[in-house]
Amino acid sequence: MACVNPVPKLYRSVIEDVIEGVRDLFAEEGIEEQVLKVLKQLWETKVLQSKATEDFFRNSTHSPVFTLQLPNSLHQTLQSSTASLVIPAGRPLASFTTAELGASNSSAGFTLPGYPIHVPAGVTLQTASGHLYKVSVPIMVTQTSGRASILHPVQQVFQQLGQPSMIQTCVPRLNPCSLQATTEKSQRLETVPQQPPILHSGVVHRKHFENATSDILVPSGNEREIMSEALLSQLESSQYISVPGVMFPPQVSQTGSPVEPVLRVSASVTQNLNGGPLSTGRPGAQHQHMTDTQLHVLKNRMFGCDSLKQPRNTEEPSSLPVSEKESNSQMDLSNQVTDDDINEIIQIDGTGDTSSNDEIGSTRDVDENEFLGIVEARDLKVLEEEADSISNEDSTANSSDNEDPQIDVVEEDPLNSGDDVSEQDVPDLFDTDNVIVCQYDKIHRSKNKWKFYLKDGVMCFGGRDYVFAKAIGDAEW
Amino acid sequence: MAYQLYRNTTLGNSLQESLDELIQSQQITPQLALQVLLQFDKAINSALAQRVRNRVNFRGSLNTYRFCDNVWTFVLNDVEFREVTELIKVDKVKIVACDGKTCDAVG
Repeated sequence: MACVNPVPKLYRSVIEDVIEGVRDLFAEEGIEEQVLKVLKQLWETKVLQSKATEDFFRNSTHSPVFTLQLPNSLHQTLQSSTASLVIPAGRPLASFTTAELGASNSSAGFTLPGYPIHVPAGVTLQTASGHLYKVSVPIMVTQTSGRASILHPVQQVFQQLGQPSMIQTCVPRLNPCSLQATTEKSQRLETVPQQPPILHSGVVHRKHFENATSDILVPSGNEREIMSEALLSQLESSQYISVPGVMFPPQVSQTGSPVEPVLRVSASVTQNLNGGPLSTGRPGAQHQHMTDTQLHVLKNRMFGCDSLKQPRNTEEPSSLPVSEKESNSQMDLSNQVTDDDINEIIQIDGTGDTSSNDEIGSTRDVDENEFLGIVEARDLKVLEEEADSISNEDSTANSSDNEDPQIDVVEEDPLNSGDDVSEQDVPDLFDTDNVIVCQYDKIHRSKNKWKFYLKDGVMCFGGRDYVFAKAIGDAEW
Repeated sequence: MAYQLYRNTTLGNSLQESLDELIQSQQITPQLALQVLLQFDKAINSALAQRVRNRVNFRGSLNTYRFCDNVWTFVLNDVEFREVTELIKVDKVKIVACDGKTCDAVG
């Protein structure tokens, strides 16, 4: 029983064989051994980095290990205790429960095997550089691969606890992070220091974008302005800063920098505030209450703004219009940023804009009706002309199109829609992620039943590699 | 001479990229890189022939087939690959197969 995947070993042996085989060649050319080593390293690195063998070669943690420390003394309002978390950046999933984090009331260290890391609410995280973040909403920290470490301009509820000097140092570092103030000012609230190794959003993005926006948006617009201004001023004045609300509104794209490691922390604002203005209108209880719904709200937001209204209505009806607007803009930004690594984010603008579809559709229907009579004759003529220039196959398609010219006009390019169906498929058809490269012993066909006898093949499915000595297959054409 | 077929695999592509980097930095010559690739062809062909022993079965529907220059190219849809240990399903797969009886270099 083949329990162990043979691919990594095979690849390693091939690499070794090739390197040894060309060693003489390199020597003949007078090229240094060092170059050969560099070649080998480059090759191995690329193979390791590919998804082909990632599960096999990697031995979990490597590289950035960052420490999240939660000074206990600074948190008196946190429900759960502080804990210091050492989070290595590794691939395997890791999650820890509240119990693990909150068990001790003193600083404790947790070593997490890797991403994603689930941080329950009430935990204050201190980054390696000393910045403190208080988590009031359960967050999930995941690591996305290969992105620049720039924080999303998530609006961060940023609470400095007892270390004013850190705030000041944070400020310059926040610039790239571009925390977006909830207001629509262009002013950026950059309270999130960049902490590349620390946290960032895989799944968290969506959820916590919502959290951030919902929290921040919940207060009235004035409050937000106050918050942002106060925050900045407090940053400068090295006072405690607490921003009600959450996390990081997806406004990153304004900065134009994708944020990889994003520390998403929602801080409970009111309780630890030193400054008054930031906490206005945010009683702790309300904030706590919001946390649970925030996630839902955020989820709703990510997947459609309309649904957001309902949960939000229960909370802050007055702030809905503004918040929604911002959330929309934020959503767009976040979508731009996170699209690369999360394909599931649904785009709410452009063609995917649900709200506008109806308008466009209705408008187009009206226009369609108006132009029906006019277009029809014209289309026939155009289609006929097109048919002459295109192959016979296409002209046949055109003739069928002639029957419904108005539809073609309205929906797509009337001249060519419906044509070239097979031609369009071919280039796309042969462009696929799943490829098998092999040799054939025998290919047999009987009517439309094909049998394949293949050998010595390398398969790549979605980036992962497999090999086979023999493969037998059946297919019907 | 072995098939150059396997250059378009993860292993082969990563080697080619690495060689390109060295050529760009002028640490090796393109001719040497070609020699390395030829060495790779030999190594991968022999490794697959000798070190791999597993079998795979698959079933699906054939979308297209092509036979040109003694190379078969198929595109299958909704394919299930069965190995002893696991089952893999893919929506679309392209199979490129050279003649296993002869061992000519395909450039």
